[in-house]
Amino acid sequence: MLPAQLGRAPRHLLVCERGHARHPRSRHAAHVRDHAYSCRVSFLIPECGLLPEVLKSTIADFGEYYLVRNLPIHELVAHEFIDAFVKKGSCYALAYKTKIDQDNTAALLPNGKLILSVDKDTYEELGLQGRPSRYSGKKVMRYIITVDLTDAGFHPESKKHNRVLWALKEKKPLEFDFLLAWYNTGAEGSTLMSYFSKNQIQALKPKITFSTLRDLQCPVLQSNDLQGKPEESCSTEELFEWLGAVLNQVSLDNKSSSFLSTYCCPEPNTVVEKAFLCTITGFIIPEKIIQLLEQLCCYFGEPKLAHWLTLTVHGFADSPVSWRESEHGFHKGGENLYNFVIFRNLDYWLHMAVGTHDDCPP
Amino acid sequence: MAGFADLNVPQGADKKSLQSLLEATAHLGYSVVALNHVIDFKEKKQEIIKPVSPSELFPSLPIVQGTSKRIKVLTRLTLVVSDPSHCNLLRSTSANIRLYDIIAVFPKTEKLFHIACTTLDVDLVCINVTEKLPFYFRRPPVNMAIDRGIYFELLYTPAIKDSTMRRYTISNAISLMQICKGKNIVISSAAERPLELRGPYDVANLGLLFGLSEGEAKAAVSTNCRATMLHGETRKSACGVVYTVKKPRKVEEEETAVPACKKAKTQA
Repeated sequence: MLPAQLGRAPRHLLVCERGHARHPRSRHAAHVRDHAYSCRVSFLIPECGLLPEVLKSTIADFGEYYLVRNLPIHELVAHEFIDAFVKKGSCYALAYKTKIDQDNTAALLPNGKLILSVDKDTYEELGLQGRPSRYSGKKVMRYIITVDLTDAGFHPESKKHNRVLWALKEKKPLEFDFLLAWYNTGAEGSTLMSYFSKNQIQALKPKITFSTLRDLQCPVLQSNDLQGKPEESCSTEELFEWLGAVLNQVSLDNKSSSFLSTYCCPEPNTVVEKAFLCTITGFIIPEKIIQLLEQLCCYFGEPKLAHWLTLTVHGFADSPVSWRESEHGFHKGGENLYNFVIFRNLDYWLHMAVGTHDDCPP
Repeated sequence: MAGFADLNVPQGADKKSLQSLLEATAHLGYSVVALNHVIDFKEKKQEIIKPVSPSELFPSLPIVQGTSKRIKVLTRLTLVVSDPSHCNLLRSTSANIRLYDIIAVFPKTEKLFHIACTTLDVDLVCINVTEKLPFYFRRPPVNMAIDRGIYFELLYTPAIKDSTMRRYTISNAISLMQICKGKNIVISSAAERPLELRGPYDVANLGLLFGLSEGEAKAAVSTNCRATMLHGETRKSACGVVYTVKKPRKVEEEETAVPACKKAKTQA
């Protein structure tokens, strides 16, 4: 008489979309821009042994991100910070080493909204207006506070600003380690490094690893057919599973001696002699990912053996938002990732996957 | 959602093994741990000693994995009662009992279970998982306990050690779930060695086997433990709203502090 729910996995969603990269109304760049915080970007190019120079330089150009220790949040609400960074270009900030389902978290989106995800005790002590979390159940344990820093009513002498500053500075000072990045749209001014020089700020570069996979079984795909036909091409779900296996270095042979996995590459497939896999880990901002995506589309400018290549982007498991401002929660897993498959004719497939406590991606 | 807590870590005599247990819990992701001191009245008369302060036992507490905060250590007392006269200890205003953060009772008979759920001033009622239950749970005492804010505790380490105890754990847990419908449950280990500990998400998955829903199972390791700790704190206060702190002798009056939003019946 075991409960029926034992056989079910926690709820997860996979959204698949199809489009053409050069179509005027294509939304691929918009989707990338909506997903603000990415911790890992990997791309897989079949039939490629060496990375072309132009891709190498794009990756090397990813820039730096900063880690600031013990930064009180009221410094992000200070008007010097808003005028210097938030209003000029896109500023991204995410609290580091906090868990979304246990502790308080904070994030600053590029559109100037500061999101605080706090637990019940902190919310009651802080005194700012917020709304209960959607994934909290009947007894609300988590609240989300949104402060719009670029709002016209948020100038230095306004009541709103004073109230927020009082709450964050005197009532309940909150401080976190922050991961910061700033995309400068060409304006001159101070850099993050010099602004936070009194706090312990460290500049870090994303970690890049390359590897070449030999004799890899790749599924055969038809760009205009998302569902796949039984003998001709594989469906998007099969591709997604296969890609997950490859990126996690799961062996695809289904050997009888292997206890870890009985996964096989979906049929029909071809064996590719070599494939190039590059992984970049760090605090990566969408503007850089769009540049990388453009360069990957230009890869097919010259004739190549490969029929398609993939670009996978993982979001942080503990970030308070996933796409745009939809709330992200961690139930048994906090995945929020998207994956592009770009074909020779510049058609693309886009997978967006989320876990249990998440909204459907746009 | 609150941080994960393990409310039953037996306080053995050996300091080194306790330190390694504490490091293992911090590594697994638990933010709060309660050191359990068990008093069994069947043995000859035992005195309730003052709880050892965690700051004396552990000069430096380990940091919880994945955050930058240190693990919090509380003290807990469990009374194993098999006779109504044993409960008198709880009713008396013994000074030493008040010093413990959490008080639990382990009733051995049906009458004592009823008394524990309805009248005794405890935070947790332990449910026997190592042998077949000598009595059936009835709805009235269980519902009264839920109204009073008392939580039922299930252990999972006996299930790891022995397969017979595994059967009893699951069957006792399922029979409890049928009466209480998954409310007010706390799952904790009674691990004596670091190998017997399991991560909080794994324990929440174990709760699914007991018949809890996914949300209730995760709450059994986090939110309900926080509620138990708050229930224990209200015992140190007047009606759960005001508590006094003795200031060093000066001319000013005694300081009163008002903690945010506490009631005698915890609605956390």
